[in-house]
Amino acid sequence: MNVSSALATSEGADLVRRCRAGDGSAWEEIVSAFSRRIFNLAFRFTSSVETAEDLTQDVFIRVYKSLDQYDPKHGDLPNWLMRLARNLIIDDYRHRQRNPQNTYAEDVDDHTFHLRAVGGGMQKEMERREIAKQVQEGIDKLPADLKTCVILRDIEEMSYQEIVEILKIPEGTVKSRINRGRIELAKILRRMRIVNM
Amino acid sequence: MENEKLINCTEFETHLTDYLDKTLDSLTNKAVAAHALKCPLCHSLLNDVKVALEVCREIADPKLALTKLEAGILSATMPDFAMSCEEFETHLTDYLDGFLPASVFHRWERHACLCSSCEDLPGEVVRSIATVISYKSDELSLPEGLHAKILQSTIGTENAKAMKASRFSQFGEWLRSLQFPISIPQLAPVAMMLLLAFMVVTQTVSADGSISGAYQKSFELARQTYQESSGIVFGDKTGEQKSNHEPIQGTFVNEEKR
Repeated sequence: MNVSSALATSEGADLVRRCRAGDGSAWEEIVSAFSRRIFNLAFRFTSSVETAEDLTQDVFIRVYKSLDQYDPKHGDLPNWLMRLARNLIIDDYRHRQRNPQNTYAEDVDDHTFHLRAVGGGMQKEMERREIAKQVQEGIDKLPADLKTCVILRDIEEMSYQEIVEILKIPEGTVKSRINRGRIELAKILRRMRIVNM
Repeated sequence: MENEKLINCTEFETHLTDYLDKTLDSLTNKAVAAHALKCPLCHSLLNDVKVALEVCREIADPKLALTKLEAGILSATMPDFAMSCEEFETHLTDYLDGFLPASVFHRWERHACLCSSCEDLPGEVVRSIATVISYKSDELSLPEGLHAKILQSTIGTENAKAMKASRFSQFGEWLRSLQFPISIPQLAPVAMMLLLAFMVVTQTVSADGSISGAYQKSFELARQTYQESSGIVFGDKTGEQKSNHEPIQGTFVNEEKR
């Protein structure tokens, strides 16, 4: 069962209420439920474990400070929290694109993937790690605007309307970027021989 | 029965095609159907012929995608409707999502058949999306110590369980949560009635509907003032006598004028 779905309704509101009252265990529960998802989203954009780690920490600091603004009437906790996280991560990504000196060095080759074992032995596991690494490299080769749209659509599985709201650009632009991004990614993955043609 | 007709296997075969075409008279039709039910060999023959007919119909009306030959003919005869590679790529996601309008759809399919550089692209994109989705399911595990770092930077301690909410703040949050029902418009009449009941009980509102019997008091005051005034003008003693009465609540007697 998805951890965040367990906090979908009144449970989420109750947790936030306890957090605001100063209950540490309630806040720990929220951190446990969402940290992995937020860390992975940050890694998709940064391709760096260290930067993703710092970004995840920043997101939670902002969430903690914004708990007073959470209103269950405007959506459940996972939606509110992930919307906040996406906005912060995308803002950070855009900021780094504008300031290339801040960009995270291409340490995608250096870091170690901690993929969960899915069976099939060590050989299969190694292959999966290699493919995952190459797919991330392929995504990194996309231009920034296309990369953002492809991640939000195909990895985060957001609707066109949600992407429009988060990026604040017209729906036509979103559609065209997703289309362009998918085509470019397919060509990149073909050149990298990741996808069997 | 008089109307019942019986046929043998040879007659069944003779009538078979007409039976399937539904051109037999009702009596013969019934006889063929009855024979098919009784005779397993003829029943099997009937099924075989039915299947063979369906296969023939499918061959006559193929439901295959646009062939290269057909696309070539259409392209040669209707060159104005050809699609460029750029246009083809623009419509790719809409094609995959099934949102292409019919007119564009046919031009798009024709281009996919004829253009050697584009024919593999839809398949590549589909496989690429599938790879990304499968990559997505391989989530990274959380780096060691990140959990503790988050707790330290937000609540100032890694031991979150030791941090308990005070009773005062719990009460404050409970009060805050009570704001929800009051803001529901349907509860407004209930709140109004409760307020009215409270005012009646505390005698803020009197039985005649006035506030603290203000109407009754004001009439009494007007009457008394009138009597005093008329007593002074006509030298009536009753006015003075009445002026010795205690003033009505909320008024006073001006001693200097007396």
